Order: sequence, then C-alpha cells, then structure tokens
Amino acid sequence: MVRRPGSGAEAEKKQPNVEETVGHQDIPVQVMGIDAGGTMTDTFFVRADGRFVVGKAQSNPGDESLAIYNSSVDALAHWRREVDDVYPELVTCVYSGTAMLNRILMRKGLNVGLICNKGFEQLHSMGRALQSYLGYALEDRIHLNTHRYDEPLVPVSRTRGVTERTDVQGKVVIPLREDEVRQAVRDLVALESQAIVICLLQSHKNASSEQHARDIVKDELEAMGVSLPVFASVDYYPSRKESHRMNTTILEAYGAEPSRQTLKKVSDRFKKHGGKFDLRVMATHGGTISWKAKELARTIVSGPIGGVIGSKLLGEALGDENIACSDIGGTSFDVALITKGSFAIKSDPDMARLVLSLPLVAMDSVGAGAGSFVRLDPYSKSIKLGPDSAGYRVGTCWADSGLDTVSVSDCHVVLGYLNPNNFLGGAIKLDVERARRHIKEQIADPLGLSVEDAAAGVIELLDLTLSEYLRANISAKGYNPADFTCFSYGGAGPVHTYGYTEGVGFKDVVVPAWAAGFSAFGCACADFEYRYDKSVDLGLPQFAGDDQKAAACATLQEAWGDLAVKVIDEFVNNGFKPEDVLLIPGYKMQYMGQLNDLEITSPVTTAATAADWDKIVEAFETTYGRVYASSARSPELGFSITGAILRGTVATQKPVLPEDPDAGPVPPESARLGSRPFYRHKRWVDATVWKMEALKAGNHIVGPAIIESDATTFVVPDGFETTIDKHRLFHLKEVK
Amino acid sequence: MSYTNEQVAHLVEGTLDWETTFRMLSMPKDTSRFAQYLDALQAKVTFTDKIVLPLGPHLYIVQKADTKKWVTQCDCGHVFADYRENWKLHAAVYVRDTEEAMVEVYPKLMAPDTQWQVYREYYCPTCGAMHDVEAPTPWYPVVHDFEPDIEAFYRDWVNLPVPERA
Repeated sequence: MVRRPGSGAEAEKKQPNVEETVGHQDIPVQVMGIDAGGTMTDTFFVRADGRFVVGKAQSNPGDESLAIYNSSVDALAHWRREVDDVYPELVTCVYSGTAMLNRILMRKGLNVGLICNKGFEQLHSMGRALQSYLGYALEDRIHLNTHRYDEPLVPVSRTRGVTERTDVQGKVVIPLREDEVRQAVRDLVALESQAIVICLLQSHKNASSEQHARDIVKDELEAMGVSLPVFASVDYYPSRKESHRMNTTILEAYGAEPSRQTLKKVSDRFKKHGGKFDLRVMATHGGTISWKAKELARTIVSGPIGGVIGSKLLGEALGDENIACSDIGGTSFDVALITKGSFAIKSDPDMARLVLSLPLVAMDSVGAGAGSFVRLDPYSKSIKLGPDSAGYRVGTCWADSGLDTVSVSDCHVVLGYLNPNNFLGGAIKLDVERARRHIKEQIADPLGLSVEDAAAGVIELLDLTLSEYLRANISAKGYNPADFTCFSYGGAGPVHTYGYTEGVGFKDVVVPAWAAGFSAFGCACADFEYRYDKSVDLGLPQFAGDDQKAAACATLQEAWGDLAVKVIDEFVNNGFKPEDVLLIPGYKMQYMGQLNDLEITSPVTTAATAADWDKIVEAFETTYGRVYASSARSPELGFSITGAILRGTVATQKPVLPEDPDAGPVPPESARLGSRPFYRHKRWVDATVWKMEALKAGNHIVGPAIIESDATTFVVPDGFETTIDKHRLFHLKEVK
Repeated sequence: MSYTNEQVAHLVEGTLDWETTFRMLSMPKDTSRFAQYLDALQAKVTFTDKIVLPLGPHLYIVQKADTKKWVTQCDCGHVFADYRENWKLHAAVYVRDTEEAMVEVYPKLMAPDTQWQVYREYYCPTCGAMHDVEAPTPWYPVVHDFEPDIEAFYRDWVNLPVPERA
C-alpha cells in the first residue's frame, strides 16, 4: 500500500482544515454511505474508531460512479488517504440517489407493453385524479388551472385488453381467453416493446388468471423466439388498489432495469479501485437491498429516508425512543416521527406523481427551505416564501448565479448568519453588498423597513412556518413535543435549528456535527433487509371460536410462507444461506369497518393456534391504545387483518459512533476563529465564531455564537447555549 | 417575476413549455404581461390598426389607424361595428335547430332536443372564421357578451395610457 508521506503533526500546521486525527492511518475505514442528490453527491466514511469524514462533489447524471469517486477523493483528503487504499478496507457501502426518480420524471425508461382486462385499457393513462396535483404546494392544489396529467409511462397504443374477469371475492367469473393473450403478445412485440407487464383486476385476491396469462405470454414469446422480461403484478406487488398495483409493476419494468445498469457501473468502479464489498441500495421501506435485487422500483426515493434511519440509530445510542427527525434542505423541510423506537410505514404512498403500492417510511414535507425565493405579494404586500428555490445557485449574493430574486440565504448572509467567505468551505465567495441591494429593492423599500429588519422578518417567517409545521405534525398525531427529542440535520439544518425549535418545548434538541452528511450516514446505518407485502382479507368477530381463529392463523401463515420464499430467494442471490436470514413477520390490522390499519410486528413467529391469534390481537390492541388512546379501542367491532408483511435481515457492519474523552466545558482557544456582527431581535451583537472540528467533547458554548465547518453552519443566538457530547452531537438549549 | 416577449409569444401560440406555464399560473401576474400580450398579438395580425383589447382567438377591439375610431374587428380586417355595439348582430349566423344539423356535431341521441336548445354559430362574413357559439333556448335574444370598461382597465388595472379614441 502506498501512502502519502509526511507526519500528521506537520500536516496539521500547514493545513488547519485537516482533522486533528491525521496520522492514524492504521485505523481502517469500514463504512461508506453515498447520497447522490440532484446537485451534489455526498459521501460519508466512518472509521473503526467512529471518526468520520464527509465529502462533496458535483453530481454527474451521465456517470454517477465518477461523481461518487470524486466525492470520495474529497472526503478522504481530510484523512490524507487515497481511494485505492481505502476502498479495499471497506466492509459495507450503501448507495442512495435520485437517478431512478429522475429517469421516471424525465420519462426516459423502457418501452413497456401492457396487458390488462378488456375495457380497462385507458385506466393507466387516466390515472387517479390526484395524480394531476401530486407534489404541488397547497396554493396550486386548490388552483385547478395548474392541474395537469403527466405523460403515462405506457401509452394506450402499447396497451392490450384481454377478456377475463375475477370478482372482488376472488372468484373467476369469466375465464381468461388464451388466444387474445397470444394476439396481444404478438401486437406488443411488433410495437417494439422492451418488456411486458400484466396486471389483471383482483389478482391480489386470486392470482390464478394472471399467473395463467403470464405463462401464456412467456410461452408465446418463446414460440416467437423473442426474449423479453415479463412482469406480472402478482409476482411483484400483490396488493389491493388497482391503480397503485399497475403503476408499481409498470414502474418496475420501466425504470428498474436501466437503474440496475447505473448501479452496476457504480459497483464496477468500486471493484476497479479494489472494493471487495457488495454494493447495497437504500430502499423505501427503510432497509437496504442489493443492486441485484428482483424489485428495484423501491429504490426510487431513498435520500431523505437515510436521515430517519440515522436518527433511529442515534436515538438507540442516546436512549431516546421518541424522536422528531427534521431535515432542512434547499427546497423543502421534511419531518418524520420515531415513536417507541420505530418509524411509521406508509403502504400506498405517492412518488414521482404516481400512486404506488410500496412500503415507504412515512414523512411529511413542506416546500420551504433555506434556498426558497422570497417575494412580496404585489397585492397584499405580504412576504411569500417559495415554492420555488434557488437550489444550488444559493441566491443573489452569489454574483455568478444569474439570479436576481432574493432567497432566504441572502437574508442569512446580510444578517451575519453565514460567512460569505466560507460558503461550502470557501468554494463560493458571496457578495454581501449585492444581496443587500436586492433585499432593499425587492423587500425592504416596498415595506418601508430597513434592510436588516426586512431580512430578519423573512427569517422569522420561515422559522415560524417550520416550527408550526413541526408542532402540528407532532400534536396532530396525538403526541406531546415534551416527550420528543428533535434531531436537526441537512446542510442548512443547523442554521435554522434554534428558530424552528424555539418554544416548541422539546425534551432535547440535537444537532450532529455531521449534519450535512447525515442522510449518507443514515444509509450506512440501515439493515440489509428485504421486505415483502401481500394483501390478505381476514375478518373475525371479537369472540370467535377457536376453529375460526385457527383458520385465520392458517391463512396468515400461508401468506407469510409465500413471502418467505421471496425474501430468502433474494438473500440466496447474494450468496447468503437461508439459515443466516432472520425473518421478522408482521401484519396490518384494524378494527372491522374502520378505515386505517396499523402495522404490527408479529408477537408470534408462526401462527397456527387460537392462542396465537389472541396474541396477534393483543399486540394490535396495545399498539392501537398507544397510537390513539386506550379508551378508543373498539374490540366489539371485531378484527380485520388486511395485509401480511415479512421482513428478512442479515447481520451487517454499521457505523460506530465516536466516543471522545470529556475535555471539560471550556473550548480550546485554537477553536476560536474570531467574531462576527450578527443581527437578531432588532440589534447587532458580536457573535463568537468557532471552528466546529476543533471543539472537544464536553465543551459548552453560550450564544451569541456561530459554529462553522466546511459543509454547515450552526447558529447559537443569544438566549441559547449548546454542549457537545462524546458522540460529537451538539445539544441545543434555551437559556431560561 | 417577468418574462421575455418570446415567452409571451409562445404562450399565445400554446407552445410555451409546461414549467414556465406552470410558474405563470401559480405566481402573481407579472406587471408587464398585458403590454407584452398585445405586442405578441399585434405581431400575428396583418392589419396595422392598434389592438386595444382582444375579445377572442381571432377577434379584437382595435383603434383604426386612420380615424382613431374603436371598432370590433376580425383577424382578416373585417370590421363588424363600433366597439360598444354587439358585433354578433353584424356577423353571419348559422342556427342549428333541427336534429339533422345537430347530428353533424354530436352523435345521435347525445345532442340537445332542439325544441329546448339550439346552437347559434357566428361567423365572419369575409373570411368565415367562427368567432362564437351560443347555446340558448330557441326564442332567446342574441346575447351581448360584455361591455368592457376599457378606460378603467387601462388606467386602474394595467397602468397603461388609454389609447386615443375618436
């Protein structure tokens, strides 16, 4: 192994930015997390001793693997390590990215042919009405003119209906007409389809017609001497709701294969640089799956989920089981709740403006972020934030941005929150005067305010919007913020943390020192886990007989059995033995006639007897009492199981948290960078500026202070104080 | 927020990209839009009279270049009447008041009963452009769509000088 010469001590003198632990090159780097976003590709490396570095590079949609490589070089430079030395040391690597999402949004997938029930050929094109406004801000949702249907993934011209009908009870009332299926296949092949999707009504209830159609399709393709992948919805997403099931199966055919090629390219580059690990991908259910997995559609959204997984792991380390995860990026503010140590899963979410049947970590978003544009409503003269944002162009304070509309970042620069010379570690120089001028023209003068008060008003408005949103998200679900610890992360998170947590009354507010790379960190924390779902329909009265209970258990067990085959298959594909896989069964249950089900991890590993059923019911009722209220429990309605869930995991290496010795409350003088004027509450104060990397565990800082690092800025205004703990987590408190 | 003349011209043609169209729809209206809109329309028509207010895809209130009189005028230059009069009274009219006429535009049994409702189509007598269709009861008078207060619109809404009127 070739390493750069030069001792750590020397290097530190020349390069104050390099972390103090330079020289400990014998400590291996074990874990790598990747967050390949639309504009920046972040990498996060963790050493065996818990120290970490964050790297950033411009994303490269043409070749993601190159951006990941560049970002790795950037990260490892902090440790003076080379990619070729570090990749072979890694034991685990998790990727999350937006490539698949972009492929869907840009409609750059395969030519898919669709076979459905005769008379339902238009179903996919029409879509669900709400697809016309998914992803819109509230103002646009209620403004009908803006509603618009996207281009369907499969055009009607490549859709063929076949005669068949299975009723809602799963009874085949019109058998499948085989010759129509064969004709459909010939048509779709002639139309140059690159994959064939089959989705028939009620196939989640009775799969036989669809499976029969699938076999005929394969047979006909073989007879024609054509090799095309065939996707039957029952083999992938056997869930109720036809639009969701059809969309998801189409998505799989349309976007998954091209994404697999992207991931293979990434994996190949790792191998070229000596990587011996198997690349895993963050999936919507909160686990990671192999890039070779059968179902890749569930990797469509993964970035923001990483933060929730990371919060869960940190929460376990800190002993916090109720966590409000808040991620503030350039365009949006994402909130997720972890209660009693687990996050909620949504089973029919929407992504890329499509309704889907994929399990997704539940998250709520509002379109206001650190880069949101600020405008005055010309009629009411009120300040409006977003919904669009400056994104990577920061704001008008960056002269090269080409922007002339003020963004939230401009206000931060003018008020001294951000250091104009240290944005992204000094990569971009910001022009304070330019920002001042634009704020004066666009906001301050029309309102008759000073530039400072106008900018401060914008920040206050944003903080208020975010804190109301956070508070509403917690109390609307019946919880009390006092029971929650708030984790704040994302590149811009720590600038706003004080603002959106002030007065909410959290138990604790935590800002990780690696806030900017937190999503990538979270991805690296995720289990290697497959999860499969299947709809079932079980209904039992409160006092059912033992026979009924046993029969219900048998149905549930059968569904688990089907899912277990799929889960174990996936692991075997990755070279694991079936006995290495830990299977965790679960189910979705509700009181009969109610509308919302709850997802429960099963208290029994196999279900067979009446006693098993009673335990299943008891686990549901306990959860129901916790989520809603004990007094709201309604066992007299009887119980329905609506879905079977099976998760399977194998052991993986996870990042270790740093454990630093307590260095006492007084920060080292070397961490003090100076001071900066800072405007808040109608006055300028001098805020002490600290270097985040140089602060030690136990250090206590009282505001007004600004703690800077290359990738993020942590603002501690007057009235707040913060302490850094041994895991390099900042705890922010209001001073009473 | 402001847009280029080219973007507004695309908007008029229906060829503006969706992203920009969406932004126009969801943001407060840009102050210079009406003037840009008039310019885009003016560039499309062959007559030299100044467009004061568009009334339809091919119909305008214009200021005649020679007399400065305001009149309602077709794309082709055909003058219907003074702008305060109902231009329909000067148009060519085709009334669909029989089943045969109705099945030309709707499938059988899916058109209104002409005892109850008729279609009145108004055409330019010179070029044949269809300018409007009414769907009233058979006896109903010709509808006078609206009488815009153009002075107030220019002065109070779009902050432009009111064009001269003879």
